[in-house]
Amino acid sequence: MSDSWVIRNLRAIRGRAYPRVIGSIREPSWVIFDIALPLLTVAAYVYLYKFIDAPKEFVGFVILGGAMTAFWLNILWSMASQLYWEKETGNLSLFLMAPVSRMSILAGMAVGGLFFTTLRAGSTMAIGILVFGVALSLSNPLMLIAIFVATMVALYGMGMMLASLYLLFGREAYNMSNLLTEPIYLVSGFYFPVSKLGFWTAAGASVIPITLGLDALRQLFYPATGVQYAFLSIHLELVILCVLCVVFIFLSKASLDYMEKLGKTSGRLTLRWQ
Amino acid sequence: MRDNLRTFKNAAWLGWQMESNWTDPFLFATYSIVKPLAGTLILVFMYLVITHGDTSTPGFSYMFIGNALYMYVAEVLFGVTWVIHDDREHYMTLKQVYIAPISFYYYIFGRAAIKIAITSVGVLLTILFGIFVLDVEVSLASISWPLLIVSLVLGLAAICIMGLALGGISFLTAKHGQGINEGVAGVFYVLSGVIFPITILPTWAQSISKILPVTYWMEAMRRGLEPGVITDLGSTTGMDGMDNWFLMLVLILSTIAFLFISVGIFRFADKTARRKGKIDWTTAY
Amino acid sequence: MTSAVEISSLTRVFNPKKKKEGKSITALDNVDLRINQGELFGLLGPNGAGKTTLLKILSTLLLPTSGSASIAGFDVAKDFLEVRKRINMVSGGEISGYGLLTVRENLWMFCQFYGIKTSIAYQRIDEMLELFGMASKKNEKVRTLSTGERQKMNVIRGFVTDPEILLLDEPTLGLDVNASRVIRDYIVNWVKNGKGKTVLLTTHYMAEADQLCDRIAIINQGKILACDTPENLKKLVKASRTLKLEVTMLRNKDQFGLVPGVEKFTYIDDYDKGITVLKFVLSDESAVNDIVSELLKEHAKIVSLQKTEPTLEDVFIKMVGKGFE
Repeated sequence: MSDSWVIRNLRAIRGRAYPRVIGSIREPSWVIFDIALPLLTVAAYVYLYKFIDAPKEFVGFVILGGAMTAFWLNILWSMASQLYWEKETGNLSLFLMAPVSRMSILAGMAVGGLFFTTLRAGSTMAIGILVFGVALSLSNPLMLIAIFVATMVALYGMGMMLASLYLLFGREAYNMSNLLTEPIYLVSGFYFPVSKLGFWTAAGASVIPITLGLDALRQLFYPATGVQYAFLSIHLELVILCVLCVVFIFLSKASLDYMEKLGKTSGRLTLRWQ
Repeated sequence: MRDNLRTFKNAAWLGWQMESNWTDPFLFATYSIVKPLAGTLILVFMYLVITHGDTSTPGFSYMFIGNALYMYVAEVLFGVTWVIHDDREHYMTLKQVYIAPISFYYYIFGRAAIKIAITSVGVLLTILFGIFVLDVEVSLASISWPLLIVSLVLGLAAICIMGLALGGISFLTAKHGQGINEGVAGVFYVLSGVIFPITILPTWAQSISKILPVTYWMEAMRRGLEPGVITDLGSTTGMDGMDNWFLMLVLILSTIAFLFISVGIFRFADKTARRKGKIDWTTAY
Repeated sequence: MTSAVEISSLTRVFNPKKKKEGKSITALDNVDLRINQGELFGLLGPNGAGKTTLLKILSTLLLPTSGSASIAGFDVAKDFLEVRKRINMVSGGEISGYGLLTVRENLWMFCQFYGIKTSIAYQRIDEMLELFGMASKKNEKVRTLSTGERQKMNVIRGFVTDPEILLLDEPTLGLDVNASRVIRDYIVNWVKNGKGKTVLLTTHYMAEADQLCDRIAIINQGKILACDTPENLKKLVKASRTLKLEVTMLRNKDQFGLVPGVEKFTYIDDYDKGITVLKFVLSDESAVNDIVSELLKEHAKIVSLQKTEPTLEDVFIKMVGKGFE
C-alpha cells in the first residue's frame, strides 16, 4: 500500500475524531454525568453486596467493573451505533463515498472518544476507591498497560464488527445493541468474577475481549483476591487477547466489506428510518 | 378536553409505532420479553454468586421485586426525555409538533403512556419469571390489591410528572445531555430502596432517601405485592414506623408537589428554549 | 473525446423486504449514457424517474442489478476505491455535517477524508467561502446557518476536494434567486476553466438545465427518453416556434408565406390602429432575416415583435406526456 493511502487514512481518523473532541469541549455538560452516572451504578452494586454480606473484595470488583463499562458503552453507543446516527443525519453516505477505509472512520470515532472515556473510567475508579476505601495494587504497571492496550484493540475491533451491522440494518441493530448491553455485563463478569459462571460459560464469554481483560485487570489491581477468583492466568489471558486483536481486526474488515456490499445490493446502505 | 384527549391518543399511537414498527410482531414480542429479563439477570447472578445459588432468602425477593418495579422509573423518565431529543434531532419533527395547536403536556403524557404500557408487560413478565423460576415470594392470596393499585397509579403519575420536568430540561440540553435523566433515575436507584433497604446506606444518605417520593412508592408497592417479605426482612427497610395510610398520604402530597414543580420547570425551560432558539437546534457529534 | 462517465445497459430493481410491502420497483431500466470529459451534463426527469438512483450507483453507494457503469474508466462496482478518489456528490436539502462545528471545521473534516493536507484544505475553503459570500460565516456553528447558507456550505464541500467528476443532485433546491445564481455561475466557470472537469447535474428547473448544460438526458420511469443538446432537443418540438410582428400597414403580404423556413403564415389588417399583424410559424430560425428583408422592401416599420421559442418544458411534455408533478 502506498504512503498516500496510509496518510489519507490517518487524516481520515483525525478528521472524524475532531468533532468528537471538539463536541465534548464545547458541550461540557457530559463531564458531570459521565462521572456521576457510573458512580451511581457502582454505589448501588456496592451496597447490594453489603446487603447480602458479600466478601469485601467484591466491592473492589464492582468499582473496576463500573469503570470498565465506560469502554464497553463507548464502543457500543459511540462507535458501533454511531453509524446508525450518521445514516439518519445523512453523513454516512458522505463517509462511504470518501476514498478511505471504513475502519478509519470508525477508528476516528473511537479515538475521539477515547480520551474522555478514559477520563470517565479513571474518575470512577479513583472516586470509587476513595469513597469505599478499597486498596489497589500497581505493582506490575507494564503488564497492566499491555493487558489494557490488548483489551482495547481487541474490543474496538469487535466494535467495528458490530458497526458493520448498521450498514445493512437500522433500528433492528439499534434495538439489538440495546438488548445486549446488560447481558454482556453479566457474561463478561463486570461485577463479579467470571469464573463463578463456570468454566465453559466463562470460556464462551472470553470471545468478548473485555471478559479476559477484566479478569486480568482484577488479578493485577487486587493480587490477593483477584488471583483467588481468576479464570485463567494473566499471561495466558494476554496471549489470548493478542490473538483476539488479530482475529477481530480481520473479522471487522471482512464484516464491513461484506455488509457494505449487502447494503449496496439491497439498496439499504443509506436508507433512513429503517 | 376532547382535543387534549385526541392529542394524548395520537401521541400514544405515535409512541407505539416508534417502539414497535422496526420489526415484525413476533420479533418485537420476543424482544419485549427478553429485554427486561436480560436486564434483571445481572442482579440475579450477582446475588446467586454470593449466596451460592440460594434464592429463598427474603433479601432476594426484596431485590428482585424492587428491580422489576424500577423499570417504570427508568423507562418512563428516560423515555420521556428521549422523546424530546429524538423528535428534535433524529426525526426533526419536534418543531412541527410544537407549533401545532395542541397541548404539549398531553403530547408528552401520551408518549409516556405507551412507555408505561410496554414497560408494564416487562414488569409483569419479570415478576412472573421470578415467581415461577426463581422462587420469589409473591402469592396471589397475600397481595393487598387496594394498596397495590392505588400506589401503582399514584407512583406512575408521580413518575410521569417528574418526566415532564426532565422533558422541559431536555429542550435546553444537547443530545448527550440525556445523561441528566439517567442521572436522576440513577439517584433513585441508589437512594430509594430499589435493590436494598435504605438502612444499608450511610445515615446522611438515608436522610435524602426519605425525601424522595420513589422511596415511599417502592415501600408501598412492596407492602401491596409481598407484605410477607417486609416482615421476613426483620422490618429493617427504614420505614417500619409508617403505616400504609401515611405512605399513601406522602405519595399523594409528593405527587401534587411535583406537579407544581414540574410544570414550573417545564414552563421556564420552554420559554428559555424559545428565547434561545433551541426548539429545533441540533447537537449531535 | 474521452468519456468521464460510461453507462451501459444499467438496470436497478428494488425488491421489497416482505411481500406485503408491495411489488418490485424498476428504478432504472437498461440505461445507456455517455458523458464526455469537460461536459456539464444535465439529467431531467420527474420525481421517481430514477435520477437519484443513477447518482447513487455512480457514487458507489448502490450496486446495479445488471449492466455496468464506469467513472474515468473505473467500474463503479469493482473499482469503487478508484472511483471515490475522483468524485464527489452534493444533494439538495442536505443536512449532513455536525451542528456543533463551525463551517470551516465541517469543511476541513470532509477534506480529511480525501487526504487533503490541512494547509491546502484551509486555503481552498477560505477561497471558496469568499467566492460564495460566506467568509463572514466561516467561524459560525453550522446549526446557526440558514437553509441557503447551509446549502452553499454543502456545495462548497463538493468542490473543495477538487474532484474530476462532480455529481450534483438538485443543488439549488429551495434556494433563493441570488444563492442559486451564485452556485450556477460557479458550476459553469468550474467546468469551463477546469481542464477536463465534468459535472452531472440533476434538476427540476428547466431554465437551469437550459442555461447550464451542454447536453441533457430526459429520464422517465427509469428509461432515457432523449439525450442531446438543449437546442437539438427543442428542435424536436417544431410547432411552438412562432413569430408575431405588428408593422405599419402593408399593401403586399403574400410573399411572406413564400419565405423559406416559414411553415405557416397568417395576417390581419387592423385599420383602426393602422397596422398589419403578421403571424409566422417557423421551421427555421434563419427565416427571421428574410422576413425582415421583405419588410424593408415594403418600407414597413416594425411596431412590435414577439417571438416564442419551444422550451425544454415543451420538450419534456412531448416526451413524458406531462409536466413536472
